[in-house]
Amino acid sequence: MLDARARARFVRNRAAVAGAAVVAALVLFALVGPALARHDAYTSDFAHGVSPTGMPVGPSADFPLGADRIFRDVFARLAAAGRLSLLIAVASTAIATVIGAAVGIVAGYYEGERAPRLGRLRIDVDGLLMRAVDVMLAFPFLLLVMAIGAALEKTTAVTIFVVLGVTGWLGIARVLRSKTMQVRALDYVVASRALGQPAWRIMLAHVLPNVAGTLVVLATVQVAQMIVADSILSYLGVGISPPTPTWGGMLFDGQGYISGAPWLVAGPGMAIVLAVWGFNMLGEGLRDALDPHET
Amino acid sequence: MRRLLRRLGASLFVIWAVVSLTFVVSNIVPGDPARLVAGAQARPADVAHIRQQLGLDRPALSQYVLFWKRLVHVGPGEIAKGDAQHESCAVVLPLGESAVHVDFGSSFQLGRPVVDLVSERLPRTFALALAGLLLQLLFGVATGVLAAWRKGSRLDRLLVGTSLLGISAPTFLIALLLQYVLAYHLRWLPLDGFGKTLGQHALCMVLPALTLGIYGGAFYTRLVRDEMAVLLKQDWVRTAQAKGAAPAGILLRHALRNALLPLVTSAGLDFGALMGGAVVTEQVFRWPGLGQLSVTALFNRDGPIIVACVIVSAVAIVVSNLLVDLVYARLDPRVRVPAA
Amino acid sequence: MRSIRTRLDACALLLASTGVGLAAIPLGCSDGLKAPIAAAHDGVAPLRGGTLHLAHYSDVRNLDPHGQYDAISLQAITLMFDGLVDLDHDSRVVPKLAERWDVEDGGLLYRFVLRQGVVMHDGGELTADDVKRSLERALHPATPNATRAFFEGIVGFDAYTSGKAEHLDGVTVEGRYVVTVRLKQPDAAFLSIMAIPSARPVCATAGNRYSRSWLPCGAGPFKLEPGGWQRGSSLRVVRHDRYFDPAASYLDAVEWTYLMQPMPQRFRFEDGALDMMMDPLAVDYARFVGDGRWKGLVVPLADNTIHGESMNTRMPPFDNVEIRRAVAAAIDRDAYIVNRENMTTASQLLPRPMPGYDPTWSCASHDEAAALEHMRRAGFAFDPSTGKGGWPRPIPYLVDARSTQEAAAQVLQQQLARIGLRLDIRSVSWPAYLAIGQRIDGTPMAPEGNQADYPDPSAFFEMFTTTSIDPEASANTAFYSNPTYDALVARARHEMDPAARHELYHRANDILCDEVPWAFTWAQRDVVVHQGYVRGFEAHPIWPFDVRRVWLDRGDQALEHALGGGLR
Repeated sequence: MLDARARARFVRNRAAVAGAAVVAALVLFALVGPALARHDAYTSDFAHGVSPTGMPVGPSADFPLGADRIFRDVFARLAAAGRLSLLIAVASTAIATVIGAAVGIVAGYYEGERAPRLGRLRIDVDGLLMRAVDVMLAFPFLLLVMAIGAALEKTTAVTIFVVLGVTGWLGIARVLRSKTMQVRALDYVVASRALGQPAWRIMLAHVLPNVAGTLVVLATVQVAQMIVADSILSYLGVGISPPTPTWGGMLFDGQGYISGAPWLVAGPGMAIVLAVWGFNMLGEGLRDALDPHET
Repeated sequence: MRRLLRRLGASLFVIWAVVSLTFVVSNIVPGDPARLVAGAQARPADVAHIRQQLGLDRPALSQYVLFWKRLVHVGPGEIAKGDAQHESCAVVLPLGESAVHVDFGSSFQLGRPVVDLVSERLPRTFALALAGLLLQLLFGVATGVLAAWRKGSRLDRLLVGTSLLGISAPTFLIALLLQYVLAYHLRWLPLDGFGKTLGQHALCMVLPALTLGIYGGAFYTRLVRDEMAVLLKQDWVRTAQAKGAAPAGILLRHALRNALLPLVTSAGLDFGALMGGAVVTEQVFRWPGLGQLSVTALFNRDGPIIVACVIVSAVAIVVSNLLVDLVYARLDPRVRVPAA
Repeated sequence: MRSIRTRLDACALLLASTGVGLAAIPLGCSDGLKAPIAAAHDGVAPLRGGTLHLAHYSDVRNLDPHGQYDAISLQAITLMFDGLVDLDHDSRVVPKLAERWDVEDGGLLYRFVLRQGVVMHDGGELTADDVKRSLERALHPATPNATRAFFEGIVGFDAYTSGKAEHLDGVTVEGRYVVTVRLKQPDAAFLSIMAIPSARPVCATAGNRYSRSWLPCGAGPFKLEPGGWQRGSSLRVVRHDRYFDPAASYLDAVEWTYLMQPMPQRFRFEDGALDMMMDPLAVDYARFVGDGRWKGLVVPLADNTIHGESMNTRMPPFDNVEIRRAVAAAIDRDAYIVNRENMTTASQLLPRPMPGYDPTWSCASHDEAAALEHMRRAGFAFDPSTGKGGWPRPIPYLVDARSTQEAAAQVLQQQLARIGLRLDIRSVSWPAYLAIGQRIDGTPMAPEGNQADYPDPSAFFEMFTTTSIDPEASANTAFYSNPTYDALVARARHEMDPAARHELYHRANDILCDEVPWAFTWAQRDVVVHQGYVRGFEAHPIWPFDVRRVWLDRGDQALEHALGGGLR
């Protein structure tokens, strides 16, 4: 996807490289962090996590980022939360990307025509899909997660990534639709249509490769959005139920301790900002590298 | 006119679809829908009453019809006190003797009809959304113009970098930071709450509005900067420059006008989203709007409020999209930029 | 007047200047507490006036004294409703709305003579009819009243509460100011019970049936300000000017803000925008206690609360007594008390300061092997080395969202996982927690606490009787029913010989230890921190947070505090 020139442009872009580095570091942290930690993310350590005054211990060799209010290792929890948060973000982005790409390409391909036929009926595919986008745009996803959480009496990682996935594709669909409309006008695509190639084949063989770069950029930025959404849900207390660690939840639990045990706020706070910033920068860098005309 | 009607039709369709989706979601989840709709505080008799009201023993289609009938129906023009059938209704459209009612049911925890709760909180959410949006535009346009003007300079990079940081920090982090520094440490502003007088409302609104402004402003910075950067490269701008028009004058007159369309579009969409309740911001600052109401309702397992919040915020989004469309149609011919 | 601190300290600057800001906090930006605001005068004569500002992190469920009151609503109910009798700071029964009473027929008949000229909040005069109507309202079968069983001894209770009788026969109006209550058997605790909120008269507006939409109206020293109860956000009560004892209270008003998180609570409290702070976070509590300037302003409240894991004996898996026994043995109480400052382990029903407390009555202690054996006997053997076996499904465990309960739940979860019981934490608001926990099919398990309603062991033991079961407002949250236990507790209630009574309760406690409707875990002593200018606050042994005698001495009473004051 990135040819040599694009790669060169990316490498020259300091911000993009920094973003990529942060993302790589976070992924590494999420992968090996739990193994590096001396403690389990879910287990309270009443022997070492408690200071003589009965408070959670501060940062030390044993607890690199201190202990939380029930004496679990913040470092281990941060890493475990990162693992889950990244997993949710990537998985929901995958769902969103697939749906968004499918809807965007199909809608863009059929924009302005009443096709394909269904017996004698001609369907306005683009119109229908765009109405669906309008409906989903009006649907408040945060409230949706909350409503489902209330109905199920608890929120699980699966609920969150499914809801984020099936609501997060709208932006992708819109952009890909207009991209597809551009690609559709290319000579060889017009020619393929004239030759009577089936639509699905044109979309897969000609349109998709042409919009793949855009799709990668959109997906990368989407990951950042998903991390934000996930952290908001857990900060509000409507995300994944305890004891599963989440950055937003850790931050909420820690904020009351901002004066006495600030590490409980600083760790998750910085993790969220870095993760979101990293994916945003990476996405921007990719966009600039793939499409140098835009800036 | 035809365009307007078409848009209106599309909006109505979207509202219909959202409400229907709400019905589907609240009916496919496991558990007892009657208990969900009644809320945790409802007593068994109330739950039984609601079960009957929802027609849960009937086929899905007639449940759906009942759902709509309860939501919107024609009833007496004035709701008499003690009218058990219409006690939680609000009159939205008088029709002679009778009137169109909207009914979201009652909240057992808050002891009031949900329409009352929503209509009490809607203006507050509206005020915060408006203030937040204005600050977003103010920050965004100011920094965006500055950045475009000095494109490629250190100032540009600083502004763009900061804006990215602003986008990357979720609202609750910005909110906590502002609260900690401006309210707790410096005591310039109230920590949270709503106040009792108009002046206090305004003071209390500063921090939440600022939070929204910083978070959303970052987005506008980039939008304005990119729009203007494209414009500044165009020949006619160069011509204007050559003719001796001051650069600042060009920027503000032509360039801003050019950026107006995308700005209006984004602002409209943002406003719709904010009207759904800036959930996090309202929650952190205890701003008693729709967002705070819905979070509280969630923890209270207060079903009718959650459903009402979903519907109201969807309608808000649809309406503001419609408005954007209308504004767009008006602006479009005037702001057409001379061909480059 | 205090000067407003304008100094831009290095910490705030750092925070403001870094975009993320939070990076600055670990760099030593933890800040000290502000100093308490001292009283303006040295004098000891109480001053009148001022509004007391309080806050709580959760919402209040209801303010009806006749049903569903809890530790939070009780704060306001104590101010708005007076009983015929009251309990003083030594837990002795003292006259209140009744100026005196006589006990006749060998303890079977109580004749209360009401104080004349007591004006209720709606302007009506309190009469014997109001007393009877209020009692009937409280005990009516349709009233969700978790304390109904305390009144079981009144003649006609069974017929009335089962709906067979229109009125409560044992309560008789004998003239405008005299009302009598006849008991089936002598009852040592009866007078104390007449002091609890369920027995307190309410205005005629309440009618004789419970309704959730009724606004509180009683005969207490404070009354609800019109529009003063914004459900879900705040409550304001003002002094009842026609209260029979004008010297009883000093404050003009008391205001609660609900749903305020602990952090902004502390911020406001330090600024004097909140006058008292209840249940500070553990970390803040330690700082207040460790700060000499706040000495004497940190007040421990009554130590009469017992906490336990309530297991619904009608829902699986806890319909199996072996599983309940396993839970009791699996809990490591020393590790479970997450807040060491004000929790102590407990393994029996009665908290230490209760009359009748006996340290030898201890139930099961932590013994993992025994717990595993109980699991095996229940048919759900668990192998800790492989993690196989145990109860096959997650067990819903209801907690008050974002409270100490939620934190502690995660410790309990770790402990019970070791014997094959996997808790599934469900966090809901405090009002929802109360409602669901008291409902018969609400939740299999929840942490529960009981605070003495009156100073007698029966206030605890009767929580587990069959009469205390109510489908939607159950004091008996385990829905535990055992005729042998019921009989023992009923006998103890009427036993006038202290030694014999002690022995009966001992046997009842043994049954609870063996059948484990609750696994007792800890006793908690709540704490209040108040500003230096808050005077006259004294912890009450029964009413958990009683501010009736509090007065303010802040010098600027007339002024609302410059920044925070009016902004709640």
